[in-house]
Amino acid sequence: MATRVSAAGDRHGTIQSVDRAARILRVLGSSPRLGVTEISDQLKIAKATVHGLLRTLEQQELVEQDPNSGKYRLGAAMLQLGNSFLDNHELRARSLMWAGSLATRVGEAVRVGVMNGETVLIVHHVFRPDNSVQILEVGASIPWHACALGKAFAAFVPPARRTALLAADLSPLTGRTMTEPSLLRAALEEISTLGVAVEDQEAVVGEAEIASPVFDHRGDPAGAISVVGPVERLLPDGPAPALVAAVREAGRGLSRDMGAGRFAARG
Amino acid sequence: MDGWCHRVSRPTTRRGGVGSPALGAFLVDAEFVRRWIVDAASRIEEERDFLTQLDAAIGDADHGVNMHRGFTAAVATLQSSPDGSPGSLLQEVGTTLVYRVGGAAGPLFGTGFRQIGATLSEADPPDGEALLSALRAGLAGIQALGAAAPGDKTMVDAWEPAVSAFERTLRAGGSVVEGARSAADAANAGVEATLPMQARKGRASYLGSRSIGHQDPGATSTALIFGALERAVR
Repeated sequence: MATRVSAAGDRHGTIQSVDRAARILRVLGSSPRLGVTEISDQLKIAKATVHGLLRTLEQQELVEQDPNSGKYRLGAAMLQLGNSFLDNHELRARSLMWAGSLATRVGEAVRVGVMNGETVLIVHHVFRPDNSVQILEVGASIPWHACALGKAFAAFVPPARRTALLAADLSPLTGRTMTEPSLLRAALEEISTLGVAVEDQEAVVGEAEIASPVFDHRGDPAGAISVVGPVERLLPDGPAPALVAAVREAGRGLSRDMGAGRFAARG
Repeated sequence: MDGWCHRVSRPTTRRGGVGSPALGAFLVDAEFVRRWIVDAASRIEEERDFLTQLDAAIGDADHGVNMHRGFTAAVATLQSSPDGSPGSLLQEVGTTLVYRVGGAAGPLFGTGFRQIGATLSEADPPDGEALLSALRAGLAGIQALGAAAPGDKTMVDAWEPAVSAFERTLRAGGSVVEGARSAADAANAGVEATLPMQARKGRASYLGSRSIGHQDPGATSTALIFGALERAVR
């Protein structure tokens, strides 16, 4: 479950009804459809209050009521808000061209991610250009330690942040996920030297990822760009050199577009 | 959603002849392996689009197609190896699945069948107890590769209860036929139990709480395989 906002507006400076409305949106985001009673039970908020909040949210098109069942779901305005978030995201905006040409060049899927707490949020995803059915991963959230995007980012953050990330929940996603902080720390050291992070079936069995960090105008990591695909194609005998070169080039180019100076655009 | 589960829990054909193999008379042989894999392949073919539809909701929309390709190849492998021991045949099936299914399902199901085959190869005699050990070894292989525990919304949620039910039935003095039936039922129940779960492994876990309310495709395939096993032991 996503992080809960303050329980019931009991913090100074928060407004209870806004807090409650936000919690209703979150709970609707994790279920297909919910009725007033279900929301009331889950959030421990009186039914009349839930009803009033839902009516208000409905007027703003943030939720909508299913005419048949009378249950509520998220509304169309949520998609517009989500899209605005993506449109206003500088790294995503600048990555569109780089990600597209990288996918075309290497014939694999490309992802762009940013750190959101201890997870990588996918803000852009270009499908593998082979006409196969693929599912858009924009909005997906991947634990940082299990993907190359997260490791590429973590390798270049200040020591205090790195230590905090290493103290996070390092649960395994596969039998190959690195869960030992000391091993991860050593891996990050290596990545900071190489400028490229590799992940070998640590997030999904059968899948690998090669990522390069992206730096902003201050020279701080802003996110990362990666190629992701079947392990046998990405790491045929270790990381395929052509892929590593292409990912590194995209990371450098994108960093330059973000205003990173020559020195900052390491890797 | 209820209908989805029922499609899996009601196999289209029941192999006839509830003849009664005497208790303890069951031995894994090459014919059993063929019946099992051919039946599983045909069930997966029947449910191919359904499996893909499940996967489209929380995965990569390729599970049905991939499993169908892999099991079709596995049947071809069995046809081209007329003489193998049951253990070696199942190992070949596993190897074929690893290379032909692709995605995460290939290595996971492939490892499962390779472990089953390897365990049966060393079993003497390859009786019901040996089949139980082999199925458990398959589960262990899958868990080592995927690090999934029951409740993570994966194939383990069907495979683990199936093996446990098989074991309980044998321990209670039941036959292999009864054990396999209880395993198939437990696998189906396991599939239904994945619906309210939030995925903690695999691509579905990227979706966080959005995975809730969807039936897991890997668990569904597992239930098809245990349904085929039930018919193959009769």
